[in-house]
Amino acid sequence: MQAVDIFIQQILNGLSIASVITLIAVGVTLIFGLTGIINFAHGEFLMIGGIVTWLAVSAGLGFPLAVVLAILAVGLMGYVLERGIFRFTLERPTNGFIVSLGLIVVLQHVVVLFWNPNQKSIPRPLTTVWDVGGVRIASVRVMVVMITIVVVALSFRMITASRYGRALRASVEDRDTAALMGIPVRRYITGVFVLGSALAGLGGALLIALFPITPFIGGTMVMKGFAVALIGGLGNIYGAVAAGLILGIVEGFSAGYGFSQWTDAYPFVLMILVLLFCPHGLFGGTSGPRMAS
Amino acid sequence: MNNGAEPQGRHSTNSAVPALRSLLPVLVVLTLIALVPLLSPSNRFLSLAISAGINVIALYGLSVLFGQTGILSMGHAALVGVGAYTAAILARDFGIGFWLALPAAALTSAVFAMIVGIPSLRVGGHHFVIMTFAFGQLLAIVLTNGGDYTGAATGLDIVGPVTLFGADMGDLTRYYLMVVAFVAIAAVASWAIINSPYGRTLRAIRENEKLAASLGINVGGHKIGAFVVSGIFAGISGVLLANFLGHISPTQFASFPSIYLALMVMIGGARLIAGPLAGGILVAFLPEVLNLDPVQSRIVYGVCLIAVILLLPEGLIAGIVAAVRKVFVAKPNERQELEHSAVSKASEARR
Repeated sequence: MQAVDIFIQQILNGLSIASVITLIAVGVTLIFGLTGIINFAHGEFLMIGGIVTWLAVSAGLGFPLAVVLAILAVGLMGYVLERGIFRFTLERPTNGFIVSLGLIVVLQHVVVLFWNPNQKSIPRPLTTVWDVGGVRIASVRVMVVMITIVVVALSFRMITASRYGRALRASVEDRDTAALMGIPVRRYITGVFVLGSALAGLGGALLIALFPITPFIGGTMVMKGFAVALIGGLGNIYGAVAAGLILGIVEGFSAGYGFSQWTDAYPFVLMILVLLFCPHGLFGGTSGPRMAS
Repeated sequence: MNNGAEPQGRHSTNSAVPALRSLLPVLVVLTLIALVPLLSPSNRFLSLAISAGINVIALYGLSVLFGQTGILSMGHAALVGVGAYTAAILARDFGIGFWLALPAAALTSAVFAMIVGIPSLRVGGHHFVIMTFAFGQLLAIVLTNGGDYTGAATGLDIVGPVTLFGADMGDLTRYYLMVVAFVAIAAVASWAIINSPYGRTLRAIRENEKLAASLGINVGGHKIGAFVVSGIFAGISGVLLANFLGHISPTQFASFPSIYLALMVMIGGARLIAGPLAGGILVAFLPEVLNLDPVQSRIVYGVCLIAVILLLPEGLIAGIVAAVRKVFVAKPNERQELEHSAVSKASEARR
């Protein structure tokens, strides 16, 4: 019975980690899959979302308001960076990738410069812990999972069912024809980038509600995001959610069963294997980013 | 995308003289650098210069890979790390000294480059850079979790003096001179590769992979070959680094150092034989000149990298050379070259 309890406990813990990973991965899958921008600074976007939340909560604002601020701040940052930097790299994705590596260094160290490199944490926004037959369920984890489900479902609906989503997918399929149909392709690229960034901001806010974060959290998180996005198939939100669940639960288990020092290695190994053996992902996606090429 | 600032590539087929002309300034500058100890510089200056020189050796390898073949590795510090750890482990377990560690580390780094290169290059296009980045990160994690064998997160100490013909090279000035000599060898080696038929093959692959393949060039094999060559440079640079620092740890070879190496090669310009030297020196001494603390200097590096990519994709030095040429438009054949470069840039932009 004890073993079963631990097992269920690890699944539940894994689910909340998986939620944050899924939020990054959905951002990556949309940005990389639909616009072709390889933004490795996406993890830093997440980190900044967490820092904004921390600043807001430290300033005495409530957690919900802090989350909204984080989303807005990171969304705005995404807008500025896309307009100011990434749009000049659309023709050559590799340049965009290198630029994003430069951004990692800049964003990390700007945060360190102003707010020191130490761990930052906020008091848990929800402190209740339910005890269900020996399994302890922290309400804050449930909150994270619920918010993720709602937000990802909304994004999914927007991409698959709305008029904008259809126009967006049309522009991925054939940029020139879409432009001829009167779709403002350029503005859509910016829109997707801002949406993805805002999701990272939300992810950061939820992450700091679960764990303390440092300014250097972005690196491993972005690799998880890319691994999940590639495993799930680029541009495929559905796949990103499924792959995010897998990775989150694997991580929960390995932490629970004493392999935690290898946790950071899984996304890299997974990503290398997926790129090698099924570059289109397990669940199928756009056949690589085409909008930019 | 050959530009006017790199004439040696086009002329080398006809005669060796213009090619030599491109190497000469580098050797002259290196000779001047070797004379610096006569001015009795501070130890801090020498240490900075040694680190810069060690980086430049790896950069010459990167210039063959990126400048000639057009493949960018964002995990290059990992290959330097393989060299450094090889030297440290050989010294610890077998008492093998510096000079034997050099070929051994060159070999292990080359093998590691092949292990990374074969799967990475199978993955087409810009996924390749992501792969090299992932492998680099993975290596740092493996080294951190290697237990006593790799010294885990604290890393390894490397003991044993570096001697040359019985003279102790541990002295800072002597080590400096030795590094300068290694840089010169790396520059000549990289120059020799660039101006050999092999270099031409690599450039053909860079310019048009499909065309190169249709001419019977083994594109995949040569790409891996270029990766292995860059691994040899990285391995040697790693041995020099381990023996200079006396202590190595995984974080020295993780993502930031790789970004840093890419930045240096971008700033200098990967296609010029002077590029790696200029990039390595600029990046090492810039924070010193501007009097920045490490955090500020990293921000400056990041901004520089972004600016160089967006504004001067050929590298800072090549950009300056091109600008100077534009101002003093001189010989008609050079003007033709500039026009040629403009045309190829336009065609590049369309791709």
